[in-house]
Amino acid sequence: MKLYLQVAKNTWDEMTTYRFNFLMWRLRNVLQLLTVYYLWLAVTPQNGHIFGYSRSLILTYILGASLVGSIVFSSRTQEIGENINLGELSQFLVKPLRYLGYWFARDIGDKLFNIIFSLGELTLIYLVLRPAIYLQPHIGEVLLASLAILLAVVMNFFIGTLLGMIAFWSPEVWAPRFIFFTLVSFFAGGLFPLNILPLPVQYVFALLPFGYLQYFPIEIYLGKMSPLAIAQGFGIALLWSVLLYLLVSRVWRKGLKMYSSEGN
Amino acid sequence: MKKLARYIIIWWKLTLGTSQIAFQSRFGALLFLLGKLLRYIFFLLFLVLLINRAKIIAGYTFLEIVLFYATFNFLDTLSQFFFRNVYRFRQQILNGYFDNLLLKPLPSLFHPLFGGSDMLDLVILFFATGFIFYAGLHSGQVTPLHIALYILLLLNGFVITLGLHIIILGIGILSTAIDNTVMLYRDLTQMGRLPIEIYQEPLRGLITFVIPVGIMMTYPVRAMLGLLSPTGVIIALFFGVILFLSSLWFWRYALRHYTSASN
Repeated sequence: MKLYLQVAKNTWDEMTTYRFNFLMWRLRNVLQLLTVYYLWLAVTPQNGHIFGYSRSLILTYILGASLVGSIVFSSRTQEIGENINLGELSQFLVKPLRYLGYWFARDIGDKLFNIIFSLGELTLIYLVLRPAIYLQPHIGEVLLASLAILLAVVMNFFIGTLLGMIAFWSPEVWAPRFIFFTLVSFFAGGLFPLNILPLPVQYVFALLPFGYLQYFPIEIYLGKMSPLAIAQGFGIALLWSVLLYLLVSRVWRKGLKMYSSEGN
Repeated sequence: MKKLARYIIIWWKLTLGTSQIAFQSRFGALLFLLGKLLRYIFFLLFLVLLINRAKIIAGYTFLEIVLFYATFNFLDTLSQFFFRNVYRFRQQILNGYFDNLLLKPLPSLFHPLFGGSDMLDLVILFFATGFIFYAGLHSGQVTPLHIALYILLLLNGFVITLGLHIIILGIGILSTAIDNTVMLYRDLTQMGRLPIEIYQEPLRGLITFVIPVGIMMTYPVRAMLGLLSPTGVIIALFFGVILFLSSLWFWRYALRHYTSASN
């Protein structure tokens, strides 16, 4: 455990070393958030509703989605593909640590840094723009939303790892990741709540993991889900987490049999 | 004229080389193209959903919003198509390849800007042009003058993107921090996917005159819809010329300070 904590700490230190890069990355996030924020502000009447959301609810949704996105999507698993392609994996195979544990620890270090900045940015946006935001009065919803975020973190880690492990079979690791990010940017719920989609599309996406990465935790926080829907959501997210874990384990074993690092 | 033809031939050869690299993995190229198309279509569908409910956004109807979105995509993709090498410039500075380029009998900006276009962008350009035609022709009373002004301001927008890319290259020489600068530029221009009226001050002023996303993306559409005053047209053209000349000055300044330290 101490070893993995040190890995997380090292990742943190790395990020403080390349401060300019990180600041630019965060600035980009703020710009993306402002575009979505102002779009929803423009289409939601002052005292009316749109898609069943009041102005305060939709703005809370957008700001909340940004925070959840920072927690869930900040990851280092995109380096796994390169790690395998360049043969750097060989070094890890002879070290006394678990490869996936190493990357999860790196994710944690990365996430902590991103969460701090994201909270700072959201506070600044709140102080400057003064949006009417919704504060959930029930601790139960807040705890359930936090639990949903934890599951989302786990799912995103496994998905990122699987995308990286494509490198065992193909050097083309960026294109599948690009497709995944395109899908996530629309169907995780960062741009809009998924319940504005037509019902048949909603049913399909309720069975896929995307919505559980961002939309599900925020909807729980906003109190817009019935206890049955919450239970169903947790059931599906848990099922996906287990399935993805099994898939990652299998792909890892198969991939290692394929792995070679000539000349390394 | 002969010189221009020579430059076009060199650009074409560089583009062919870049395309051969991109299509080395046909599956990867296909996935990238699919991703770009999906991103284009999904955002359009999102706008359809939104306007179905809201009816208008910042005073604009559905087709007008589509015109804004298609115009943004056209300019954004056109600049990516021509200036793709800006994204590779940092590496050329770091590994010293830029020194080699400076020795070639070509303008110093030629290779950093036009060193190989991405043919995959042509598909998005094709779609965006189609949507511009459709939305433009169905958005109220569009006169030939409006169309002429639209084309003129679109060209002006392209000159502004050219100027901004030259500034980014200059920053690349001075600091090598080009990757984030170019991505920051792209995020700022993404704000032009929608009319800048949706943003409030001081952000609106910032993205109109400081980082001229509004002049690049929104002004051509306003002209097409007959909503831009003659003063607005003159300001936009003046801004385009000033920005372009300033970018050339900045490039020369950056080049004078190029140390070739990494070589």
